[in-house]
Order: sequence, then C-alpha cells, then structure tokens
Amino acid sequence: MKKSMLAALAAATALGCLPALAEDLITSDRVGPSDAPKKMVFRMTGDGPSSTDPTWAAGYAKLYTDFINNHPGWQLELQMMTGDISQEQARMLEQAKAGHAPDCAAVDSFVLPLFKEAGVLKSLSPYFTKEEIDQLFPFVRDGVTGKDGQVYAWWWSTDLRVLYRNTEIVPNAPETWADAKAAALQSVEAGMEGILFNGSRYEGTTFDWLGNFWGQGGKLVDDAGKPVFADADNRDKFVKAVNYYRDLVESGAAPKRVTTIGNYDDLNAAALAGTSALFVGGNWQYRQLQNAMEPEEFAKWSFSMLPGITADERSTGTGGWTVAAFSSEPEKVEMCAALAREVYMGPANALQEQLPTRADLYDKYDVFKSEANQTFAKALKVGQARPGVLIYPEISNQIQIMMGKVLTGAATTDAAVDDAFKATLDAYARL
Amino acid sequence: MSARAVRPKLSFPGVAGRHNRVPSPYPWLMPVILVMGLFYLYPVVDVFRYAFTDLTLLGGEGHYTLSTFANVLTRPELLQIVWVTFVFTAGSVVGQQLIGLAMALVVVRSEKRNLFGTTILRTTALVAWVVPGIAGGIIWKMLFNEAPFGGLNSLLRLLGMAPVQWLSDPDVVMWSVVLSNVWRGTAFSMVVMYAALKAIDPSLYEAAEVDGASARQKLFFVTLPQLRPAILVNMILITIQTLNTFDAIISLTGGGPGRATEVLSLYTFNVVFRNYDLAAGSVLSILMLVISLGLALVYASFLPKDEKA
Repeated sequence: MKKSMLAALAAATALGCLPALAEDLITSDRVGPSDAPKKMVFRMTGDGPSSTDPTWAAGYAKLYTDFINNHPGWQLELQMMTGDISQEQARMLEQAKAGHAPDCAAVDSFVLPLFKEAGVLKSLSPYFTKEEIDQLFPFVRDGVTGKDGQVYAWWWSTDLRVLYRNTEIVPNAPETWADAKAAALQSVEAGMEGILFNGSRYEGTTFDWLGNFWGQGGKLVDDAGKPVFADADNRDKFVKAVNYYRDLVESGAAPKRVTTIGNYDDLNAAALAGTSALFVGGNWQYRQLQNAMEPEEFAKWSFSMLPGITADERSTGTGGWTVAAFSSEPEKVEMCAALAREVYMGPANALQEQLPTRADLYDKYDVFKSEANQTFAKALKVGQARPGVLIYPEISNQIQIMMGKVLTGAATTDAAVDDAFKATLDAYARL
Repeated sequence: MSARAVRPKLSFPGVAGRHNRVPSPYPWLMPVILVMGLFYLYPVVDVFRYAFTDLTLLGGEGHYTLSTFANVLTRPELLQIVWVTFVFTAGSVVGQQLIGLAMALVVVRSEKRNLFGTTILRTTALVAWVVPGIAGGIIWKMLFNEAPFGGLNSLLRLLGMAPVQWLSDPDVVMWSVVLSNVWRGTAFSMVVMYAALKAIDPSLYEAAEVDGASARQKLFFVTLPQLRPAILVNMILITIQTLNTFDAIISLTGGGPGRATEVLSLYTFNVVFRNYDLAAGSVLSILMLVISLGLALVYASFLPKDEKA
C-alpha cells in the first residue's frame, strides 16, 4: 500500500514536472536547455516567440521548439531589438565592426548593403543549394549576393504597400491619383478623415510614397549609386509625386495630421475606430486587421494596388527581413543558416502570412493560395526594392524632412525638393 | 587667504615625525583620477579625436582632417537647428524653473499649515520625473494625437472648443514639445527649490513681519534673493539636461514635421545613427559641449562671489 502510494506520488510529481520542463525549453531570452554545451546568440525582431500577437507567439514557440529538438546540444540566446529599427541596425553594424556582433541576427533588407560593404557578414552559400538560391526572386537574389558571388544573408520575407479601403464607403478600387483624391473626398463627406498615410520623420514615409515616383519610371540613384532623383531626367516625376501628396492635404482629401503618423499601428487604429476608410499600408496589415476586427466589420475591408499618375504607371515598394551570420565559428554560421531554413524560410512565412521570397513557396503553402495573397503576389510584379546603396538612408532622411515641410506648407515643393537633393549630394560627397 | 595658508598640517604617528613633511595626496586621489579618466575623460578625448577625422560607421580607414569641422559648421540647416534648440531650451528652462518654484512654495506653505494633499502633490510631480523620456514621449503622443479619438482634442471637443493641431502645425509643435518636457522636468526644479526654501533662515521672515512686509514683499525681498544661488545652480543643471534631451522628442515627433523640432542633440543622433557619420557627430557633440559650458559660465557669473569660491 505504502509502495503504491509512493509510486503514485512519484508519477504525479513527474507528470506535474513535464509541463514545467516543456515550458523551460523556451523562455523570453532562451530556446533550448540552459545547460546545452553549444550556444548561438540570435538578435531578432518581433518575428519570434515574443511576438505581440498571441497566435504568432504560440506558432513561433512551436517552430522554435521543433527546431531546437532537431539540434540537440544547442541553445539559442535570444536578444530582442526595439522598434527603432534604424538605430538598432546602426548599432549592430558598429558592434559588428568592433567584433561584438551577435552570432546571427535579423538584418533589415534595406540596410543589408551597408553590412555587406562593411565586410562583417559570413557567407551562407555553403548551406543553401543552388536550386534554393535560384528560386529566390531576382531582386532578392541580387540583394543578398555580394560582389564575390557569395550569398551573405537569407532574405526570407518580403512585403509591399497597398491601398486599403472600406468598400462600404469606397466601393471601387482607385486606380489613379485623381481616383484616390476623389475617393478620399467622398469618404470625408461620409464623415471620415480622408486618406491616411505615413508622413512624419519615419522610414515608412519615404518607402510608402516612393511607389508614386517609381511608377512614373523615376530613379533614386544612377548605376554608380549617385543620387539622381532630382536631376534633369527625374525632377519632374519627383515633383509630381510630391505634389500628389501635397494636393491631398491641401484639398482636405487627407488630414494635416498625416505629418504626425509614423507608425503602421496608427493606421490600423484609425481603421478599427472607424474614422478612416482609406489608407496606404503594408500587406501584413491585412492579417492584423482580420485578427483585430469583428468578422462582419473585416468583411467590409479590401485592398488594391497603389494608384498611379495613370492606371498603367503604378509601382510599390518591397522590403522584408533577412537572417545573416556574423560569427567567426563555422558551426554557428551553419546553425544560423539552419535557423533561416527550418524556421523562417517557409514555416514563418505561412504562420504570419508574410510573403515568401521564393516562387515555389506560394504553391507549397495553402495560405498563399488565398485570393488576398494571390493579389499581393501579383502586385509584387511591379514592386521595387530600395536601392542597395550606402546613400539610401540619407536619401530617405531628406525625403522625410522634405515631406514634412511640403505637407505643412512650410516650404514650396520646388524649394523643398532642391534642399533635399542638395543635402543628399553633400552627404554623398562625404561617403 | 590662499588655499596653501589654510591647509592643515597632517601628522601621522611614526611617519610624519620621521620624515617631517606632509605626505603626497596623489596616492589617495589616484583611484578617483583613474575612474574619472577611464569613464569620463577618455570618451571625451575620443570625441575630440574623432572630430578631426572623417570616420564613419560604415568601415574603411579614417584619416585625420579639418574638413569635417568646415563641413559641419557650414551646413545650411545648422542655423535653424541651433535656433530650434534655443527655443526648446529657453522654453523648457523658464517653464521648469517657474513652475518648480511655484510648486515648491505651495508645498512649503502647505506643510506649514498641515494641509491635506501636500504629499500627493509632491509625489505626483516626482512620478512624472521618474518616467523615462521615451515613455513620456509616447504618453504625450497619445494625448496630442490629432485623430478624432486623440486625448486632448477629445477633451476640447467635449468642452465645445475647436481641436488643436498639436503636432502637425509647425508653429504649435515646438510648444507642445516644450510642454511635455516641462511636465517631465519640473519635479527636479521643485525638489531643488524645496530644499533651498527649507534652508532659508526663519528669522529673516520674522524680521520682515516685524517690519510689516506683505506676502509679496517677503517673496521678492527675502525669498527670491535667498534662493538666487539655488536658482542659478538649478538653471545650469536643467539647461545642460535640456540641451541633451532627445529621447522624449524622438518618440513624440521624431524631429518633425520637417525639422520643426529637431534639436541639436537629436540632429547629432541622426547624423551618427542614420547617416553613419561618426566624425560629423563628434563635431556636433563638441558644439553642444561648448554651448553648455558657455551657458554655465554665463549663469556662474551671476552667482554671489562667496558661492563661487
């Protein structure tokens, strides 16, 4: 009797410990057993077990658990980046140059050229097959490949900008700038704020707007990487694109407060509050709106390609995240590549509905067969990535400053564009 | 009287008697000198060194040059940024000083009269002070939000007033930023003024009362003259603190719209972390140092002579 009671107690204790052991495999800053002999430091964004979206957090927890179980003897130390991506990436670049970078990290695709140029990344070519590399979209393959032909990061997700609308108020997708203005004014008449977009000192301000310039065939830099966005060939297109936004604000089609919007969450908030029926946002917001809205409310929302000066002159900015290795230990570089392949290249795309960078993955996962994701995939065909040049961050910075001056009426478009171009050329001369 | 004349003669049993001379202070000062040198002086020296180079965060060998100084100090935007910094600093310092003094006077008077709520007032002000700059910026961003659901504008609408373009109007945004900074920094001034008020000799007020001075006369002819050193020291501290403020601004406006709220510290941050220009950032840091030292010297010149000694 006593023995059976002890056995029952032991069994109950063991069973009680099991969930604790399972939970212990993932903490806020570690994946894997704490006493694992090998450790890789991974600096990450919110695309992981600490995601603020509970569904994604749970999904990543499973992906990471499976991953670490496939790699016994390893633990991952997780370092979270803050939301200030530009600063985080600049700091990481500085750390990498001083030899203190994490073993593996998420690198934003638009600053990847800086890391490649600094020579701080380790080649991932040995860990990916030629077929896998060939499946990458051309702009992605070019972005991750160094001058020596080696792949220096794995670009696993891409995104694009689209125009969201509440179809109850704006039934038809605006195809041109004139359509967008008319639709926005129509929404104002319906008691809404008009069209919303990022317009403050924020990278999204530049990137979300650039499609209007690119759609006309405008170029930010020449083949040598020198800024040309306001030279003789491009100035007219650039000014037209700036004036499109200026006209939206001055006509009341967009509220002046767009100059204070520097966060995609602000756009979601307006949609959820029912104060806006039209906004320029990222494809990932579709899922966020779906998660946050009641189904009948979400059913009213749709999206379309960004409008152009004409319906045939349209483009959109494409970005995304990469995983790159900094470690000088080949074993950790291989582990970093494995993390990119087993967690991010496909499974994470499917989990978060983040657009894959490989054509074959759109057929592999059912989630990308949805009408919405098929439309996103089509829009990618007119997508453009930011130029992989060292001067891009300053071009973006100057466009943000220019946009603030123009949209608040503090400067004429011509003067603001001239100032931005001159400042960019001065910065280019110092590089 | 010179410092040498008042130096006490130290005697160490078995040491001073044998050598008959004052021991060197340097062994005792070395730990402090080392700590100060390592953690404070070395980075400053490095900033000066970088300022004479063309170093960037992008790699490559830097070269020693004077061109960075010439380039940075002749930038067309610099004048506007210095003006924005001046308005932000002056507005914040005056606001913090005046409100801090007023709150300290209220607290001291309330304590004398044993009024209810004194501790609540003091604690509430201190809570704002301990809120990190970034968090403070986010809080004010929510309050200043110009969306129909924004905090302050919703309140104004309830009162039947027109909404204000707190952050999108270039003429208003600076005062919104100053307001948020005053909210955060006033508690510090309040604490300094409170301590100084407590240190005023009560017999001065008794003498003023005997002379039939009114409350206003006591404030202007007793309190403020007695607070003068504390006010000047406080102004030096909060001026330097305000000149270095960028965390609250970066989360509130990011320096925009345009460059309407881009102060020197934020501009320096942007130059280093967004343009990757380490050398230019170092030149701007030296400029901030010179401005801070200059203002500190101006304030110090108003200190009573015996306070400066």
